[in-house]
Amino acid sequence: MKDKIKQVLAEVLEIDINQIGDNFDQNDCVKWDSLHHLNLVVELETAFDVDLEPEEIGVMTSINEIMSIINKKQD
Amino acid sequence: MDKIFVFRNYTVEPLFKGMNCSFSGYDNISDIDDNADLYVWFYLLPIKNNIDALIQEVEDYHNRVEIILSILPKNKTKIFFTINSIDTINWENSNNELQCAINNYNEFIYSKSKEDNSIKIIDFTDFTSQYNIDSLIDWKYFYMSQIVINPKLAVPFNNWFKNKLNAILFLRKKCLVLDLDNTLWGGILGEDGISGIKLGNTYPGNIYLEFQNNIKLASQSGIILAVCSKNNEKDVFDLWDKHANIILKKDDFSVLKINWNNKADNIIEIANELNIGLDSMVFIDDNPSERALVKLMIPVIEVPEFPKKIYELNKFFKNVYNRYFQVYQLTNEDTKKTEQYKINAKRSDLKKKISFDDYIKSLETVVEVQDLDDINLNRISQMTNKTNQFNLTTKRYTSEDILSLKQEGAIIKCISVKDRFGDNGVTGLIILTPSKNKEEITIDTFLLSCRILGRGVEQTFLKYIINGLIDSEFKVLRSSYIKSNKNQQVESFYNKFGLEEIDSDNGVVNYKYLLSQKHNIDNKVKIINNER
Repeated sequence: MKDKIKQVLAEVLEIDINQIGDNFDQNDCVKWDSLHHLNLVVELETAFDVDLEPEEIGVMTSINEIMSIINKKQD
Repeated sequence: MDKIFVFRNYTVEPLFKGMNCSFSGYDNISDIDDNADLYVWFYLLPIKNNIDALIQEVEDYHNRVEIILSILPKNKTKIFFTINSIDTINWENSNNELQCAINNYNEFIYSKSKEDNSIKIIDFTDFTSQYNIDSLIDWKYFYMSQIVINPKLAVPFNNWFKNKLNAILFLRKKCLVLDLDNTLWGGILGEDGISGIKLGNTYPGNIYLEFQNNIKLASQSGIILAVCSKNNEKDVFDLWDKHANIILKKDDFSVLKINWNNKADNIIEIANELNIGLDSMVFIDDNPSERALVKLMIPVIEVPEFPKKIYELNKFFKNVYNRYFQVYQLTNEDTKKTEQYKINAKRSDLKKKISFDDYIKSLETVVEVQDLDDINLNRISQMTNKTNQFNLTTKRYTSEDILSLKQEGAIIKCISVKDRFGDNGVTGLIILTPSKNKEEITIDTFLLSCRILGRGVEQTFLKYIINGLIDSEFKVLRSSYIKSNKNQQVESFYNKFGLEEIDSDNGVVNYKYLLSQKHNIDNKVKIINNER
């Protein structure tokens, strides 16, 4: 799943997937602003077929947070 | 791509993803990018339920539009979206003041566009009316990010907006190339005749009639029409002369290619004759293998999928029109633009064109040879009665006739033809009658359904049969072509195949062939033996 998230991140942030490490977070990428965050949410919801709640969206600031939230959703 | 500057009052960035856009601040008309190529005013009616405040706001938009128009460069295109009520509670059903204010505003921008050619209007209800309110607005995104139009509609919005832009920038396609049989009417003219095709006021003829009507209207909006059809030209001309209901006639088309050549070559000729680029053409044909041929050999041409359900033909037309032919306005100036565009477009690069042989191979045609049996008997008889065009002798047989031919020793084989688009079923037949001494054998009947013509099946089938006859130690093959009203396309089939013409009399040509050397069967069409 991490790879799929990386793929979505790379597409939304328009960066090379190799630049996204296993502990990638918002501070690692200047492009990851509020607008890109919004696009990220839209793409994650579509890619994993989940509805993310505002509270979850607010804390999804790293690849590990994203993973744990989507994991919980899919259970 | 043109650089676009968008004035907006809500978050709309996701909708323009992938386009070269920059955005004003929310409700901000002071910081403007002077270097944009075109300006888009995309204000949405605010999401609130205070009707008086909304009316005031909409009235204020008039002033903002005036100010903006006085600032923006005169020569650059300015596009204004109309406003519509997306989600407002009307506290009093009898009150239409908000609706009036909205109508006034829309009237106002339309009147501006009539005064100034650089101002264009896009009717936003054209987009919103395709969705219900729950898919149009996702309240989570609205309250979190000030987004009214659901970002999940970004892709359809993007396509819709690009089509509107193309219409405004006059990037429409120029020419619609049309097939005839099962496209402009139901049925096959060469088989069913003028009275047999479906075109009239009852189902399904009414579908085709409306389709022709729509195409006629499109041609009146400046689209060039051309025909590209496998038919006998004379049959089609007769139809144009005689059919009572037909709407599209000979004079409606700028170029006619009605022949048995491959359609890609015909379309290239059409483009040359009109002196337009192949990339400004759209080709409509019901036959998937023809569409594949054209798309493969001319990658720049647009070839929309034909609807599977024929009653969706006019919905299909609307989509094709909106996708490829939308135009903002047909003024003299725009007509001149088309001329310039024509000159600039010229002919597109044809280097990508692949060979016809490669195309045939790409179809992955499989021909399965079967002997006469209980299952295919009726189909075999039906083919002798229905097939007119590729039919060398046009002998009509009932099932009983077929069975007695078999008893008298005839060899009866049919073929079932499949390709990557599907199974055509039993679509070809040969009947051979041996002489008493088993030295000679005569082709009594040789026919193929026109669905499978033009890809080498006819030659491969005959070569395969000839090789089998050599194995069975026949010495001489005889055959004939008997002219009918409808089979002139096979007039010289046997000559081209290499049979020796021995005499010709009154529409009957007789051939002879010495059965000695087997034919090589190339790999363009795969042949499977399923004989018993």
